[in-house]
Amino acid sequence: MTSNPLPANSSRLGGCTLTGAISVTSHLRDTVTVVHGPKGCSHHNVSLLHASWLDNDHAVLPSLLSTGLSEKEVIFGGEEALRKAIASAAGGEGVRAVVVLSTCVVGTIGDDVSGVCAEDYGVPVVSIPSAGFLGGTFQDGMNNALIALAGTAGPCRKERSVNIIGEMNLEFEVEENYQEIERLLSLLHLPVNLRFVHNLGWDQIARLGAAEFNILRSPALVPVGEYLKNRFGTPYIASFPHGLSATLSFIREVAALCGFDGQEALREECLRQEEMLGQFSDLRQVQVSLDRIHSGEDELLAAEELAAALDLVMGTPGTCARLPVSAAVGTAGTRRMLHRWRRAAHA
Amino acid sequence: MPECDNPLWPCAMTGAAACLAGFEGIAVVIHGSSGCYYYPTTLLHAPLYGTFILEDDVIFGSEDRLQEVIGSLSGTGKRIAVITTCVPALLGEDIRSMLDEHDVILVDSPGFAGDVETGYAKALAVLEPRVDPETHGVNIDGACLFDPFAAGNVREARRLLAMVSVPVATVFSSDRYDRVHHAAPYTIGTNGDFPSGVGENLGGMLGLACVRETFTRLSDTIDGADCDPVFSELEQQEERLVRACDKFLQRYDPPSAAIFAGASYALFAAEALHQYLDAEICCIGTRNAQGESRFRTEQASSLSRVRELIATHDPDLVIGSSFERSLSQEKAFTGIIPPLRGRVRIYPAPLAGINGTLSFMESVLNSCMDKKP
Repeated sequence: MTSNPLPANSSRLGGCTLTGAISVTSHLRDTVTVVHGPKGCSHHNVSLLHASWLDNDHAVLPSLLSTGLSEKEVIFGGEEALRKAIASAAGGEGVRAVVVLSTCVVGTIGDDVSGVCAEDYGVPVVSIPSAGFLGGTFQDGMNNALIALAGTAGPCRKERSVNIIGEMNLEFEVEENYQEIERLLSLLHLPVNLRFVHNLGWDQIARLGAAEFNILRSPALVPVGEYLKNRFGTPYIASFPHGLSATLSFIREVAALCGFDGQEALREECLRQEEMLGQFSDLRQVQVSLDRIHSGEDELLAAEELAAALDLVMGTPGTCARLPVSAAVGTAGTRRMLHRWRRAAHA
Repeated sequence: MPECDNPLWPCAMTGAAACLAGFEGIAVVIHGSSGCYYYPTTLLHAPLYGTFILEDDVIFGSEDRLQEVIGSLSGTGKRIAVITTCVPALLGEDIRSMLDEHDVILVDSPGFAGDVETGYAKALAVLEPRVDPETHGVNIDGACLFDPFAAGNVREARRLLAMVSVPVATVFSSDRYDRVHHAAPYTIGTNGDFPSGVGENLGGMLGLACVRETFTRLSDTIDGADCDPVFSELEQQEERLVRACDKFLQRYDPPSAAIFAGASYALFAAEALHQYLDAEICCIGTRNAQGESRFRTEQASSLSRVRELIATHDPDLVIGSSFERSLSQEKAFTGIIPPLRGRVRIYPAPLAGINGTLSFMESVLNSCMDKKP
């Protein structure tokens, strides 16, 4: 298919709010996510989650309950169907909470979702606005879900630990990216308090305010970071680091937030990066170009820095090897990207 | 419609897209949100276009946006087909009159209208397929882009028809668009869940007995069709299949099998397992409405029901999708319906025809032997 089959209008390409919200709530272990809408909306997302979880060797199947709206509910309203679905979900064995997500159809027919969710079902019911394109973009869905879930946690005593906020649960290398952040934090002897939200139990959310600071997966989560700062007084770092110098800056920033010196951790990481670059010295003076079409600004800056550190020669696109540019997290992510560069350069 | 946990079957909009995108010469536009566009695009691996409507289009009307997308596609030489999704269908806009100036196919197939088969049938009906008495040969139907075996099925049906010197007329839905209106008077089917209803149905292609019956009818109906080469191959290949299954049974007990698929594929699998391996068919859960069967069959389109059936019957062998595989890690598994995630599939394997049965049984035997101690 063509890579861009649409008239240019990038604001329409922000993805589905519902999918964004589900990418968060489906990682709550002992809750049920009720999707208030036609079955098709749930199936799309079950299939997507199933595919991405298999990619991540995560054999657990999602737990979505669709209210299964048909033409009848579309005409006469779907509130009764929602009420039944929440009650059914709440009565499930071991269910600690129910999360309710709305779809475009519900946004259009105007069901009072919040009103139905406010009734007593014996367990907490959290309503998250996620009416597909009527609710914004994929990122809005993620942010809404994270903020709504954070709103269920109360204040607690601070401990020397860190929260990881808003991991991209659908990305292929989500675990590897987390492990790299965990490794970088371990250089400063900092443990992770919560992965909010990644494979998390409902009761664990109560500990959200205990972390000394939060690390956001990407700057698009700044509204979530601000919410957590206001609610729990927790400062945040706005993104996982991409590239060599950003990784070192990340260590400096973490150290500063904790009042550490951090010089030993920096020295150790610098040494690791130098050793890594030495392993790819065969790429020196190779003429290459960077794939600028499929790259974000931060990734591209990190890739240019890496190319300079390796002494690569920038050639004219189309006449030399085109190197893939990905959002490589930390030094380990950069190493994986370098293996792909070597393959492309020597192809 | 009752609530449904983890629904396992796509919606009518996806079915309509699967039908229309199978025809060369049609540019398919999903009139809806990016979420509604994304899923059929990734599932069908076909070029689709979208209007990607936003809140403003809902509040002020979607005509301008629809015109913008249609306008960008005019001049491509393709007939444009617009499929309405849930929200445009709810808005009650008169999309037909909006598109008066364009020669556009309009399919009203919102997701809440039903399942994938409903949308497929609706879209095919809108295309108004017709028999052309001047067209020679036989149509092939049942090909749906949603089905991972569709390409292999069509290839196998073409091979068998070539063996009996009968030309292939129209393939529903995998052909040039103009051939929809020049179908032959006779049709053979590769998947009964996606029938075309065009021409006289000579029979299906699922299972060796079915192939034999269909080609017997074809031989009686089509002048000049010499079906002996197909009957000869049927005999030879069935003998090989029986030998392989006998060898398995010399060493192992027949498996007990739980089967989950569309009704057509499910019954094919049940008959083949029962006939060649004397397998116990402990349950069949169909994603769509169940057809008539001598086996215990019920509709099971949610993950919880599938899980219950597998837990209750504790089969040795599970047939289904990667959803079922995830629920039965320790059991032998063969995939026959989407999604088939977590496996590399490059070759267009069939389920229909002679090779379809051989391919299915080969996979079953290998997966059963892999799981035996």
